[in-house]
Amino acid sequence: MIQNIIFSIAKKEIMDNIRNKWIIVMSISFAVLTLLVSYAGSIGSGGWQDLSGTVEGMSVLVNYFLTIIALMLSYSAIIGEIERGSMSALISLPVKRLEIILGKFLGLGAVLTFTILVGFGVAGIVIGTMVPNVDYWRYLLFIGATVLVGLVFLSIGMLLSCLLKKRSTAMGSAIFVFFLFTIIWGLILAALLIVTGNIQFSSDPNVAPVLKNPDWQYAMNFLNPLSAYGGIIKFNVLSSTDATYPAFYNSVNVFIALLIWLFAPLIVAYWAFKNKDI
Amino acid sequence: MKITVICPNCKNQITIEGEEGEVKDITCPQCNEKGKVTFKDKKTEEAEIKSPTIEIKNLTKAYNGTKAVNNISFSIEKGEVFGFLGPNGAGKTTTIKSILGLIKIDSGEIKINNFDIHLLEKEAKKNVGYMPEKVAFYNNLTGLQNLYFYAEMKGASREECKNLIEEFGLGDSTNKKVGKYSKGMVQRLGMARAILGNPPILILDEPSSGLDPSGVLQIKNKIRELKQKGITIFVSSHILSEIQEVSDRVGIINRGTLVAKDSVYALSKKLNLKPRMIVELKNISKDIENAVKNIKQVDEVKIHENKIFILCDSKTKAKVILAIAKAGGNIINLTTLEPTLEEIFMRYTGDAV
Repeated sequence: MIQNIIFSIAKKEIMDNIRNKWIIVMSISFAVLTLLVSYAGSIGSGGWQDLSGTVEGMSVLVNYFLTIIALMLSYSAIIGEIERGSMSALISLPVKRLEIILGKFLGLGAVLTFTILVGFGVAGIVIGTMVPNVDYWRYLLFIGATVLVGLVFLSIGMLLSCLLKKRSTAMGSAIFVFFLFTIIWGLILAALLIVTGNIQFSSDPNVAPVLKNPDWQYAMNFLNPLSAYGGIIKFNVLSSTDATYPAFYNSVNVFIALLIWLFAPLIVAYWAFKNKDI
Repeated sequence: MKITVICPNCKNQITIEGEEGEVKDITCPQCNEKGKVTFKDKKTEEAEIKSPTIEIKNLTKAYNGTKAVNNISFSIEKGEVFGFLGPNGAGKTTTIKSILGLIKIDSGEIKINNFDIHLLEKEAKKNVGYMPEKVAFYNNLTGLQNLYFYAEMKGASREECKNLIEEFGLGDSTNKKVGKYSKGMVQRLGMARAILGNPPILILDEPSSGLDPSGVLQIKNKIRELKQKGITIFVSSHILSEIQEVSDRVGIINRGTLVAKDSVYALSKKLNLKPRMIVELKNISKDIENAVKNIKQVDEVKIHENKIFILCDSKTKAKVILAIAKAGGNIINLTTLEPTLEEIFMRYTGDAV
């Protein structure tokens, strides 16, 4: 019965969102941009280039495009329904709040996964027909990691939706989260490196600053889901052989960090929703 | 055996005679409303001794230190229509939300069909259909798709959803998204959602809110029909005449405290409210007015055109008619208005609705 209810809520979320014009436009844009990025990356090499060569370009798209799609899908999932009034009717039914959270997450997750699969799938098929000897295994790993980071931002959006009292505040916070992890994070990191003396500037303007790459700089990557996602891509898809990484910064740990990013906000979201007056 | 029943339409008390177990057709002499009466034997009556379907004990809920509901207790019997009234901000919605487990209460106990709403949430909610004050649906889905979703939650069939859509006159809008529905259509769909799955208890929060007169009538008739089926109904409304017409008992909440709970008749007795006689005369004169005013038991006399409005108890009626006749009055028509719920409400809350 519990699975049926979660499934019903998930199905309703899918039906509701695939009719949402905003989501349709974003998904189509994502697919088109993926194709453009994969092609644009190959212009210099005189044609479609190998999949792994375009992954870097595509992951930039993930950073800026997929994050915002995931956050926009989820920030109003709970608070939006509360404000609209449909949540009181839903909770008055023999349904537990945990089932609502899980059903919504799974439904929205399915919509997001579908968007990623369409975008990257179409690009993969097109490139596959153009380029010989494509390493599909690595490409599938890339898609898997992208789905995972998409779900992480969905989870963060759900947390904001449960934690905050107004839909408008949740939207503002979602936008802040987007800027924090995409733009502000790099600035914070740079500032910390300068303050701690890990970037040394020469008095000669022609000499580039020297970066020391301290260990904590890599540890900071666990604190930003996009950096952790970048780590997964670096270790598993691009097969970086950079030997200067500290031992703790490896393929398994970045994956674990992303899993924590997936579940921790969801757990806190459930706790907040459970104690929320509707 | 003799029993007294109350007309559901005009609240007139009708006494009829019959044998145990007999079912009789009756017509209200005052408003011509037709219905059936069963003369139950003692055993049946005892078996039906009403166990409370909603039981609230010492419910308290505060927001930021201010008590929205303060230690209220009441119960609603099986098959009863209970009208819940109160000025804005009195604690009506907080009480309803507490019953449904939508908000965490500070203290107290709430049971629905003997299931504690907080300990056995799912079991308790299986017994309830709810129509919130602000009826809302998933606007990207059609009315039928919305009902299908709720049917899955309640374990009801798709066939029932289709029947309800037809019953509430939404059959022509099967392919229309709810976002394109009018306010009245949304309200009707809200009522359909509440009764979906045939729950034994209905909680209706302002069911007629924003409806046109025909919509209000439809909801009122639906409440009557559901009552006939033995559904317990807890209804909150600002339209006091509507509550008076459909309720067996009313509860009045004011500033978070339940200040009254009883039938309208019993409450008017408690408050010693008197009926209002309206006597229409062919000719009206100062003598007639004085003759009525001189009757000790008459509280108030007002004259408007050829009508005299007299506030007195039922026993004084005959005296009044006699006094008018003696003073030369020629009575064309005589009506008696029982005390209204609005008068009772005003007395308990000191507030207008």
